[in-house]
Amino acid sequence: MRALSLRLRGIGIPGLLMLLVVLLCAALVVYPVVFIVAESLNVGEPGVFPPEAISLANYAGMRRDLDVLVNTLLVAFGATVMAVVIGFVLAWILTRTNIPGHGRLERLMELPYYMTPLVGAMAWAVLAAPKNGLLNQLWHVLGGGGDLFNIYAPLGIAWVMALFEGTVAFVMISAAMKSMDPSLEESSRVFGAGKLRTALRITLPLVAPGVLSATVFVFAEMLGAFAAAFVLGIPGRYYVVTTAIWESTQSFPPEYGRAAALGLSLFVAMVVTLTISKLIMRRGAYATITGKAFRPRPVDVGRARWLLVAVAWFYILVAVILPLAALLLTSFQKFATVDLSESIFTIANYVTALSTGTLGPAFLNSLILGLSVASIGVPVIGILTWIVYRSDLPGRGLVEYVLMFPQAVPRVVFGLGLLWAWINIPIPIYGTLWLLGIAYFTVFLPLGLRTMAGVVLQVDRSLEECARVCGASWLRQMRTISLPLLRPGLAAAWLLIFIASVRELGASIFLMGPRSKVVSPAIINAWLTSSSELSAAMAVILTATVFAAVVVLFGVARRFTGTQQA
Amino acid sequence: MTPRIEVNDLVIRYGEVVAVSGVSFAIQPGELVTLLGPSGCGKTSTLRAIAGLEDPSSGTIRLGGETVFSSAERRNVPTEKRHLSMVFQSYAIWPHMTVAENVAYGLTLRKLPRAEVEQTVRRVLDMVRMDGYADRSASKLSGGQQQRVAVARAIAFSPTVLLFDEPLSNLDAKLRTEMRVEIRELQRQLDVTSVYVTHDQEEALAISDRIIVMDHGRIEQIGTPETIYNRPGSLFVADFVGAANLIPGRLAADGVFEATGGVRLAVAEGGKQDGTTVALRSSYVELRPESAAVPDRMNVAAGMIHRRMFHGDFIQYVVDWPPGQLIVRRPPTEMIDEGASVRIVCAPEHCVLL
Amino acid sequence: MTRFVFGRTAVLVVFGRTAVLAACLMLGGMLARPAQAGDAVCASPRQMDGFRTCADVAKAEAEGSLVLYSPDPEEGSAKLLEAFHKAFPKISTNFIRLQTGALYQKLMTERRAKAFQVDVLQLTDMGYVLDFQKRGGYMQYVSPEMDGFKPDNMSTPKGYWTWSSYIIAGLAYNPKLVKPEDAPKSWKDALEPRWKGVMNAKTATSGLQHVTWYELRKLYGDAYFDKLAALQPRAFDSYVQQFDRMISGQDTIAFTAQYSAYLLAKAKGAPVEFVFPTEGLTATPGVIGLVAEAPHPNAAQLFMDWFLSRTGQIAYDTIMSLNSPRADAPPPPGGKPIEHVKLLYPSDWQDFLQSRPAFAQSWATVTGTR
Repeated sequence: MRALSLRLRGIGIPGLLMLLVVLLCAALVVYPVVFIVAESLNVGEPGVFPPEAISLANYAGMRRDLDVLVNTLLVAFGATVMAVVIGFVLAWILTRTNIPGHGRLERLMELPYYMTPLVGAMAWAVLAAPKNGLLNQLWHVLGGGGDLFNIYAPLGIAWVMALFEGTVAFVMISAAMKSMDPSLEESSRVFGAGKLRTALRITLPLVAPGVLSATVFVFAEMLGAFAAAFVLGIPGRYYVVTTAIWESTQSFPPEYGRAAALGLSLFVAMVVTLTISKLIMRRGAYATITGKAFRPRPVDVGRARWLLVAVAWFYILVAVILPLAALLLTSFQKFATVDLSESIFTIANYVTALSTGTLGPAFLNSLILGLSVASIGVPVIGILTWIVYRSDLPGRGLVEYVLMFPQAVPRVVFGLGLLWAWINIPIPIYGTLWLLGIAYFTVFLPLGLRTMAGVVLQVDRSLEECARVCGASWLRQMRTISLPLLRPGLAAAWLLIFIASVRELGASIFLMGPRSKVVSPAIINAWLTSSSELSAAMAVILTATVFAAVVVLFGVARRFTGTQQA
Repeated sequence: MTPRIEVNDLVIRYGEVVAVSGVSFAIQPGELVTLLGPSGCGKTSTLRAIAGLEDPSSGTIRLGGETVFSSAERRNVPTEKRHLSMVFQSYAIWPHMTVAENVAYGLTLRKLPRAEVEQTVRRVLDMVRMDGYADRSASKLSGGQQQRVAVARAIAFSPTVLLFDEPLSNLDAKLRTEMRVEIRELQRQLDVTSVYVTHDQEEALAISDRIIVMDHGRIEQIGTPETIYNRPGSLFVADFVGAANLIPGRLAADGVFEATGGVRLAVAEGGKQDGTTVALRSSYVELRPESAAVPDRMNVAAGMIHRRMFHGDFIQYVVDWPPGQLIVRRPPTEMIDEGASVRIVCAPEHCVLL
Repeated sequence: MTRFVFGRTAVLVVFGRTAVLAACLMLGGMLARPAQAGDAVCASPRQMDGFRTCADVAKAEAEGSLVLYSPDPEEGSAKLLEAFHKAFPKISTNFIRLQTGALYQKLMTERRAKAFQVDVLQLTDMGYVLDFQKRGGYMQYVSPEMDGFKPDNMSTPKGYWTWSSYIIAGLAYNPKLVKPEDAPKSWKDALEPRWKGVMNAKTATSGLQHVTWYELRKLYGDAYFDKLAALQPRAFDSYVQQFDRMISGQDTIAFTAQYSAYLLAKAKGAPVEFVFPTEGLTATPGVIGLVAEAPHPNAAQLFMDWFLSRTGQIAYDTIMSLNSPRADAPPPPGGKPIEHVKLLYPSDWQDFLQSRPAFAQSWATVTGTR
């Protein structure tokens, strides 16, 4: 306590304000969690708070969901392995080799993230559904018997999850590779080891902490993945925890208790994995960040570079080009047929998508939410990041754990918690965009914190201390030193939160009201109740909008960060 | 005279770990005092506590008579109000500013007129021989240049106290020696009270008015470089500062030290009476031919050259003698063959009983 | 021909025509407030363009907004509300689409927290309708247009809810994949092993699916569903997905295939054929009612009048391809009149309501959700 009071004296009023922000954000997370825990114990009427009767029956009842839990672990495991292998290979190709045009390729690697898992899953359903999937039809034309692919099989679900939810693996692993001292690789070459051998024996172990941490993070992400399992798992009669939770909340009386218990059971798995990841991150961080600024020297891969370029482009092909082409084709069909030659083409789907009057407001709402959540989230999460990773506030470790919690529970469950929490508060925000804004902010705290922690840790602490020694107050130091240095990182975090908000599905699906519709649930609804051709048209419009937004924002961000680099 | 810096009973804890346990010292105006010790000895923590970048657990710190930290008074003046300046180990050059902007930072904060700021920046950059780099982006400087800018920035706003946190540890050996001279030059010229942290004993000896040797969070010895070198106060200091031979043995009844192997050494006065080790600087040992005459007051022993290593500025001999092996440094002019028998000669005042 | 059975779990009170008075008293007592309007139409309904109304049109337009909760496909609700909005441009419209069970669950969550969002409610499951009436969730409003409906198709007393459509289901298949002579003729034929892995159905949240299960169990017992489960049908949230998959050849046969979906797909020219099973078509009513504590009560009443009128019903039936219970409304384009179809639906809705847990469990096994 004494240390705290002394510290706060050093920071003054801003210190108290920051403390307030921390408490507020922690409350935003803890408040819905209370409801989730209460509901998991509720054996009385579902959704009544406080519960009329409590017992552990919901947890005991998970026995019957054993196959669902096993399914979840299997798919998550498969998807994680695929995502990490893909991420590692691509990261190595793009950061450690001298392939031509890697700057452009690296930018292209971000595209699957903007595609969103929902759109990706819908597209791959068109591509690789048994019998009528385009790739399977091609196979039949080539004389193949049976189906080459079955996207509704567990492997197919894992594949789509790996492609569209696993993009983070590439980002994290290439960050680790970029910060690696190339002389370590060079010394291996000096001792006569071949390039492949060097990659496997030196590069791999060196980036192992980064890879492992990415693996754990991706695994946690996969456990809570919803969109791909929803679009592909249900036709395949393959249920995972998130889709089982969804089903159990869709009937009346809803099985909220089962949903909450299942969600919290995943929480246990995620806490274990996140804790491991945190430990590794801590250790790994020292190894990479204290180093000098290396200029990574790429490995000369000779003629193999064309093969590597081909590998990178193959990824772009399966994660971006083919899905988009499939969606475009479908969106212009009158109805999808067994035989492509019988197709009737029309633009009616686009006309309907734009004229039914649901999509427009949903797009507008999503854009408003994306802009405001990112704009408010970045400074606030910036303060939180500073407190968690830079200040010596007692208990900041606990704060970090609390703020990371929304990552550890599947979004569909946290969404329910948010619903109960905010509908039971005597402030009339239910059914408004405010609720969605608060919800997005809460569920993206971990994302923002993670991204910005990376940024903050890259800025040497002494740069800030030096300003104080020179006589700058804390506020002035933030304004003249910290913020300008963090600006490029903050811009990246802003974009990340913006995209995450626009594509949000799991929480929105419970929270949107008649006047606060947002785009991902609208597409899910179209997919559920309108033709697949119409939903393809909507998905194309969504993707185009997101891409356009990204291009515009990148332009703005470049101007924003470019001026001070000159 | 009021000391410029006064530290009393300073304790710094990081959780369970005690980094600094009860350190007290005072620094007079214009003095350059070095905190010397191995990594983890608490020297940097002490420096950062003076700067206000570290919250001590207890103790008091006064700057020019004013209490800036006191656990008893619950007083902790924030860094920016302590009116001191600092050169960081990592230089902490702000990459988003030009050289001139970096240097001007502290001046603009003090709301000096524009012309005066520009003039001072020019003068200070000139002092560190960085004139002509004013408009260069700070991120495009070499290590040595960054170091100079960091110094220029630290002295620009004429602080009365200047703190150095291992400022030269990231430079190569030659540049380090050069910068050492320049920093000392500047410090004298500006007459600014300075605290200098380093783990390099050579640097500490060369640059300081006084040295505070620290280990395990405690002060081992405070003294001028000569005292620290010639009369180390503890085994740790003898071992850490300079190259010393530590000769085991015990004090005989007649006041003469009896080393293992039977060599008898007269020791300097004022040594530790129950000491069991004699510290002998390797530079203070002479090697004479077997036949050479030696004044009576000198300690003499027989030895044989085991190994000779030519270092350029000196030759280092490993000499076999009864207590074991003795390291001796002689000027490059004194060349003796390996295997030759020699007389080991040293003055009693250089044999410090510890 | 149809009798409704109301009641609590302990005592079953059977309503005949003689018990209407008792029912009025009982239901009146259950409502939070005494019925405002009673079950009589207002004295002088106002004649509008194509319908009569008791609503205060000026107030409705002042409210300026209308919110509908409906299980109908998004496109359908959007078009329906657009038609209403065209008639009353000052009233903007919004809707939420969820499957009936999910919709009712959302509504309950909101009402428990006193978050009143919705004016007009459509449900396709009599179980929920009766439950909601018991909870006092409906606002009583006797529309002058209700005289076009049979008393059997309305709440007792009048004005809480009204059947506004018959949603009927049989079997459907893709004629490119199944020859007409191989197609099933009855619900029983649907159990043939050759449909294994190529059949789809509805999810347990569908009222129509519940009715189908309930009626087929009455005919064939639980053994029917053991055999059905062996065929591993895939369950979907809406008929659109069912027909989509069948037309595109991913499935070849649809179980609980909605007649309206067939009509819509056929109109597009898609390859699809419908089977009227010999046992009859299963049916559930689409039920509309106004919601107590509605944020826009006058707009809601106006909408109800418009919707139940011949004009509104024709608009709705054309969009959704449904049959209206309104005697003077024509069948949907290309569809059979409802009188020519043999319908199977529960005679005892209370028993139907109580069979829900058994249905949910059975259907989870059939569709492999658990």
